[in-house]
Amino acid sequence: MIKFLQKFLDDNRFRFEKDGSLEKFAIMFEAADTILFSTDEVTESGPHIRDSIDTKRVMILVVAALIPLYIFGAMNVGVQNGIAMGVERSNWGQFWFGLNKILPIILVAFITGAFWEVLFAMVRKHPISEGFLVTCALIPLVMPASIPLWQVSMATTFGIVIGKEIFGGVGMNIFNPALVARAFLFFTYPGRISGDKVWVLGPDGYSGATALAVPAAEVNQHAVSLLDGVTQFDFSWWNMFIGWVPGSIGETSKLLIIFGAIFLVITKIANWRIMAGSLIGLAATAYLTNLMAPFSSNTMLSMPAHYHLVMGGFLFGMAFMATEPVTGCHTNQGRWVYGILFGMLTVIVRSINPAYPEGTMLAILLLNAFAPLIDWFVIQSNIKHRMARYAQ
Amino acid sequence: MADLNIKKGHNIRISGVPSDELQKGLKPKTVAIQPTDFRTLRPKILVKEGDTVKIGSPLFHCKTHFNVFWPSPGAGTVSSIQFGPRRVVEKIIIELAETEESECHDSFRAAEIPTLGKEQILSALLKGNLIPFIRQRPFNKVVNPMDTPRDIFISGWNTAPLSVNLDVILRRRLPQFQAGINILKKLTTGSVHLSINENTVSDTLLEVKGADVHTLNGPHPVGNVGIQIHHIAPLKLNDLIWTVNAQDVVRIGTFFLTGKYDPTIFVTAGGPGVKTPTHIKTRMGVRLDALLSEKLNEGKQRIISGDVLTGKTATKNGYLGFYDSTISVIPEGGEREFMGMIKPGSSLTRYSLTNAFIGFGKKFFSFNTLQNGSERYMVPINAWEDALPMDILPNALYRAIHVEDIEEMEQLGIIECDEEDFALCSFACPSKIDVGGMIRQGLNLMEKEV
Repeated sequence: MIKFLQKFLDDNRFRFEKDGSLEKFAIMFEAADTILFSTDEVTESGPHIRDSIDTKRVMILVVAALIPLYIFGAMNVGVQNGIAMGVERSNWGQFWFGLNKILPIILVAFITGAFWEVLFAMVRKHPISEGFLVTCALIPLVMPASIPLWQVSMATTFGIVIGKEIFGGVGMNIFNPALVARAFLFFTYPGRISGDKVWVLGPDGYSGATALAVPAAEVNQHAVSLLDGVTQFDFSWWNMFIGWVPGSIGETSKLLIIFGAIFLVITKIANWRIMAGSLIGLAATAYLTNLMAPFSSNTMLSMPAHYHLVMGGFLFGMAFMATEPVTGCHTNQGRWVYGILFGMLTVIVRSINPAYPEGTMLAILLLNAFAPLIDWFVIQSNIKHRMARYAQ
Repeated sequence: MADLNIKKGHNIRISGVPSDELQKGLKPKTVAIQPTDFRTLRPKILVKEGDTVKIGSPLFHCKTHFNVFWPSPGAGTVSSIQFGPRRVVEKIIIELAETEESECHDSFRAAEIPTLGKEQILSALLKGNLIPFIRQRPFNKVVNPMDTPRDIFISGWNTAPLSVNLDVILRRRLPQFQAGINILKKLTTGSVHLSINENTVSDTLLEVKGADVHTLNGPHPVGNVGIQIHHIAPLKLNDLIWTVNAQDVVRIGTFFLTGKYDPTIFVTAGGPGVKTPTHIKTRMGVRLDALLSEKLNEGKQRIISGDVLTGKTATKNGYLGFYDSTISVIPEGGEREFMGMIKPGSSLTRYSLTNAFIGFGKKFFSFNTLQNGSERYMVPINAWEDALPMDILPNALYRAIHVEDIEEMEQLGIIECDEEDFALCSFACPSKIDVGGMIRQGLNLMEKEV
């Protein structure tokens, strides 16, 4: 079977070569060919041997780290729906219900993404980049399960085309395409991706706020006692850590996100400096806001760091979006700064800005814009320090 | 006397590591010298086809430095001069005679050498046609004998994959090596730096006097002289450092002691394509397929003159490069793996500096020439930084070269860089970018400018 497939591909290769009948689709053939079989390109000069890692592998590992989140996400959609509708289902029943809801979202994201990627690759004559796989895998995870499919499609289009392709494709983009997609929906159709009506698939008009919205809505209270007082959901720290709470599809299970993050750090795909930096930034800023809390009526200020950690999309953003190698900082010192600023900004947006209870998305997008500047400072310091060494 | 431990870098565990056994190669029928081995050299050929030459006779000289001549690695007749595209002289091939004669020059007693003046030494080196063995940094090209270098660097250990073990080949070479060091010492106003490793056992390297001996430890590319210069006494703009291979220090010493040019060279033949990888004693510029004829494994093999990271593919009738002492043989191409992108993959079939595949211990790995991926735009997952033990930002430097910003390249330290030091970055790059090649481009640009 495998041999037959390889023979079939090899036999038809000529059609896609220069002056072949299907020359225009050569890029699609190339992509299908190299996805099915690893490439047979050999080194020309320079290092005659090469590491086995390639961008395909890098991207597929990120997707692999996301798969547990899909499974948990499907389960959680079912569980939250069960609570809202007051129905009892088996575990399989919960999962099945959730899968039916999120599978169309995933399919729409991948089909739209692949369409644009292939179109641009054909027109711009660049190879189909595997990066769109990660973008398309991330987009459904940062959407609520109730999102209309046409919005998913539009968001993906915006994310891939404006977020990435107009800059020249993977490796050239300034902003994280998956977050650009989410930001697009967030500002154009805020009613379907923010507020308290969208997070749970319940009866019409059912209101189920995320944990972050609870303290954001009240003044002069203590955040933790407020969360403990919620009866509709279990907003205890432990439950939020495990993830049986309303939220976007993939961001609720902090435990699985941490596993994913550790996986990416061990495989050396994601940079641990960004993650460590953002944890430090988050904890330090939360500590500062806690100190300010007695002097303000803002309830969010009283949120302790370990609650910030398990609420909202911070961990998800930290593990899978801030660490995106292309749009983040490219120097190791820069990555520390980038991470710390990301943690700080997340808490600041969450606490100080009453309009946005969640700050992760905006913090990352803002830092994407500033990453080259941070790198510039690191480069300048490297130059200075070299000059000093020469002067000895 | 620096004592440095360097962590960054990686020793590639390629199979076919040459044993310390030293074989004597058969006397070759032909040897060649390839002017393309020397950067920016414009040769003026001094011999014609059919001329008879002796060992050490000048074959060509440099059009910019008329007094620098290149020595013949053998005695016999010039059988052919091969040209490449645009009439570039590629090879001068010499058919060896039965009994070979050497050009004779003045010889010195060992005790006499330290009393010689710089002028005497230079003129002897020039007469003996030995200048090409000395290269300069920046730009890694043959020196101009009129310059005075700040320091001279010699690497006393190799870290490149499958490279020669200097402990083996410098055994009982102390007198010649000592003479070489004494000679080089006269050429610089600074000192002669010799780097060794904590595992060095060779008496030659441990007992030599007159050199500043540094102990450096760490994985490849720390054995590269460029990395050593960077850590011991960094190169500044307008500085000049000379470097000599350890084997060539012996060659220079031998020349002064005997008055004859010694074209013997110790090489390794190793890699997954070689049956019994060993060290071989042979001749400079030896024809590779003749040397390896009975050692190769079945199947299509790529013979590389030099190590697997920086060497040149030797074409069907290729010869050993002038500065190369490693011959690597790896199988050409490989199987295409079905669904290789998604398969978990293990360290039995994949080799990576990342942990993207399931590891089963650190075994030696049979590499082939597969690129293991297609070229893509840069996805900076820190692969370059982890492979480069220098205080240089490879990513920023790459970009500066890409946009040909000479000023920024200089500020980012391109002067200290050489292609070979970045070869491991190219090896590790997930986007399959030839970083070393880009550094070379940048250096060429700089050189034009300077």
